[in-house]
Amino acid sequence: MHGPDIQWDVVLSALLFATGALGVMLRRNPLIILLSVEIMLNSANLLLIAMSRLHGGEDGQIFAISVMAVAASEVVVGLGLIVALGRRNVELDVDKLRTLRG
Amino acid sequence: MAAASWICLLLPLASAITISAGGTSLSRRVAGYISTATTMGAFVAAVVAFVDMAGKSASHRGAATTSWTWLSAGPYHFGLTLLTDQLSIVMMLIVTGVSSLIIAYSIGYMDGEDEERRFFAYMSVFVFSMLLLVQGGNLLLLLAGWGMVGLSSYLLIGYYQERESAIQAAKKAFVMNAFGDATMALALFLLIQHTGKLDYAGVFAASPHGGAVANLIALGLLGGALAKSAQIPLHTWLPDAMEGPTPVSALIHAATMVTAGVYLIARCHPLFENAYVIADLAAGLGAATLLMAGLIALVQTDIKRVIAYSTMSQIGYMFVGAGLGAYPNAMFHLMTHAFFKALLFLAAGIAIHAIVGEQDIRKLAGIGKLMPFTKWVFLVGSLALVGIFPFAGFFSKDAIISAALDRGWYGDVIYVACLAGAFLTGVYAFRLFFIVFTGEPSAFAREHFHSHHGQEGPISMLWTVGALGALSVVGGLIQFAPVWHLLSTWLDPVAAPIAEPTNTQEWITSALAILIGLAGMGVAWAIYGSKRVKAPRSLTLFEKKFYWDELYDLIWYRSGDLLARGLYVLVEAPLIGGSITAVTGIVGVGSRELSVAQNGLVRSYALALAGGLAVLAVVFLAVR
Amino acid sequence: MANFLVWVVWLVAAFACLASALAVVSFSNPFYSALALIGNLAALAVLYLLLSGEFVAAGQVLVYGGAVMVMFLFVIAYLGDRTDESPWSGGPSWQVVGAILAGGAILAEICVVVGLKAGGLLSKPQHIGRSFGSPEALGRAFLTDHLLAFEVTSIVLLVAAVGGVVLGSHARLESH
Repeated sequence: MHGPDIQWDVVLSALLFATGALGVMLRRNPLIILLSVEIMLNSANLLLIAMSRLHGGEDGQIFAISVMAVAASEVVVGLGLIVALGRRNVELDVDKLRTLRG
Repeated sequence: MAAASWICLLLPLASAITISAGGTSLSRRVAGYISTATTMGAFVAAVVAFVDMAGKSASHRGAATTSWTWLSAGPYHFGLTLLTDQLSIVMMLIVTGVSSLIIAYSIGYMDGEDEERRFFAYMSVFVFSMLLLVQGGNLLLLLAGWGMVGLSSYLLIGYYQERESAIQAAKKAFVMNAFGDATMALALFLLIQHTGKLDYAGVFAASPHGGAVANLIALGLLGGALAKSAQIPLHTWLPDAMEGPTPVSALIHAATMVTAGVYLIARCHPLFENAYVIADLAAGLGAATLLMAGLIALVQTDIKRVIAYSTMSQIGYMFVGAGLGAYPNAMFHLMTHAFFKALLFLAAGIAIHAIVGEQDIRKLAGIGKLMPFTKWVFLVGSLALVGIFPFAGFFSKDAIISAALDRGWYGDVIYVACLAGAFLTGVYAFRLFFIVFTGEPSAFAREHFHSHHGQEGPISMLWTVGALGALSVVGGLIQFAPVWHLLSTWLDPVAAPIAEPTNTQEWITSALAILIGLAGMGVAWAIYGSKRVKAPRSLTLFEKKFYWDELYDLIWYRSGDLLARGLYVLVEAPLIGGSITAVTGIVGVGSRELSVAQNGLVRSYALALAGGLAVLAVVFLAVR
Repeated sequence: MANFLVWVVWLVAAFACLASALAVVSFSNPFYSALALIGNLAALAVLYLLLSGEFVAAGQVLVYGGAVMVMFLFVIAYLGDRTDESPWSGGPSWQVVGAILAGGAILAEICVVVGLKAGGLLSKPQHIGRSFGSPEALGRAFLTDHLLAFEVTSIVLLVAAVGGVVLGSHARLESH
């Protein structure tokens, strides 16, 4: 079984990462931003799995599982924050949330 | 003898320290007594040293004592050395003698002044400085004393601190003297470079003979002498120095400090003999000064200014003598001049003191009738000044004038100038006498005259003036050149003259000088005494003091002012001020621009992160 | 033949991945974006399978798709309809251009870096055994070589759980 070489996965991972980054930088809704962060994390996971396959060791997959666990934790906290904001009827617009202005 | 010299030097210093430390716990009178007593003690010590010296043979009279090495740098060692030889003992006697009389006089004159203790402390400092100057065994101590007398002069001219004019005059005197100090210091640098020593014996033996360096050294020393003795071109400070109290004018600006330049030339005469061009220059400047000062004195209306210009003129005579090489004659005139000039100042002081401090001779006219004692002593002083036999000035001045004949055509020109100066002296001295002390008292004088317990002044003022009067009468008798010359013999081992007139020249000169002086007196009597002839209109040139002040104002002040203004506009405001403003401007603008990045938007920060990541990746790629 | 099938599967999965990622970023309704992300996760799971990561692929579907995305959908439903009329606007003027530039730069750099450093290795994957990527292999690795990572990950999960409870309880207190 051959299929595409690993570099195809690398390029795909890069494209996914760029897409996620664009989403973080260009959307105003914090929910969408969180989803874009998930995309970026997944792209990293893809790269890790690919490299693990390349080197023949499971370390990459171990790392990927840890990343998944961390991503889940982060989503928990992030969604908790957004729910707290929503309960106060604050407009969910990242541009409006700027009290940390310099 | 060494102990006596040290005591003579240190007593005035002790007085100054005591009065300063005592402060207000000493009464004013006590401060005056301390100052007088110590100066008289110094005089006694000088006499002791003199007697001791006289007992030795001529070649063994000089003695130098060093207390410790003061300055030691590399191969150069300068000690705190006192030199007591024939020349310095003469100066010591004159300085301490005249100072003690004048300080005693000031007890009465300064009575009731604002802060007498300060005055007496300063006077003691001055006496100490002058003694250091004349007793110093090397040029470094001389320079130290030189600077300190300049300081004392500044402090005493500016004694009346609230008076604007006094402060300006003090500054002017100090700045001009500082200029002279600078040229002297440069001369000392050259001496150190070329001889490696500063003590007199070493310097005289090792200094170069002729050539540019010798000329520069002598020129530097001459610059200092000109500044201190108020000769052209550094003379403009002396008339303004009359802002100080009268005893100060008498002591510092007549009898002692201004003669320091003459002492310097006499002491360093080998250096001047190595550079005869500069010595001739000194004589020429002295001759020019004596003429100019005499002309200006003809039109002055302030009694002290007339006497000040007279001082300038007489010191011109001394410079002529010293420059031509007749050192004993110059020193002799220095001595007699100290007597009669101090006498004139102090007598004028009695008059000023009696008439509420007024110094204008038109207002003081005719007070001779109210103050006979003052009139007679002033007459004695004026006769001595003009040089009439047998008063002191006759013997000394004529000796200088005749010495000019020993120097070829240049000396002949100076000879004529000196005789013309003698004529002018007669005119201005007796103009002053006739206006102030003869005739009917003016209304002002009558109204404001107040006697002091029935006498013309306090007793301390009267006896000191009397003593000086006596000295002016007999002081000249120690030397009458054609016949007996004690002073020349005394000074010969130390300052041998190089210009000696013959006896015939002496007799002729003396006769000429007396006649010319009497002619001047006659002119003054005709115009001011009997008022037979109307006074000629005075020239603006004389009244403006030959425009020297205006010239210096133009050269030094205006150009400096222009330069300062130009630098301010061109350099300071745009460059220095501008650069600081630019720094703050840049910081402000920069902060404002950079603060745009702090907009509080999460998205912008995310962009910043992404951008930074992109850049870092390139960096890592490049490095590894 | 097998090669050809693998290629087809891979291409379809990759295309689905990219398309869903773009959809996540582009939709104005967050509900649709979340659904698109679920598609993305499924496509990625297929890709993991092709790379012999069976356990990871299963975990991806179960954890990500079954837990994380469900949570997302619940929250979005709870918060109500918050469709943006103009999702791309707002922010400073340089934001769009800067974002595209930065994204493009990162994309290019990743490709370049990996390409340069990897040399020709990317074309020669190691030979792997039958148990590569199996639960047994991963479990063994977790409990021997990477025990620290395992434990730290569990602590992180614990912290997140506590954080979630705190954030939620805060809200409950507030609502009284």
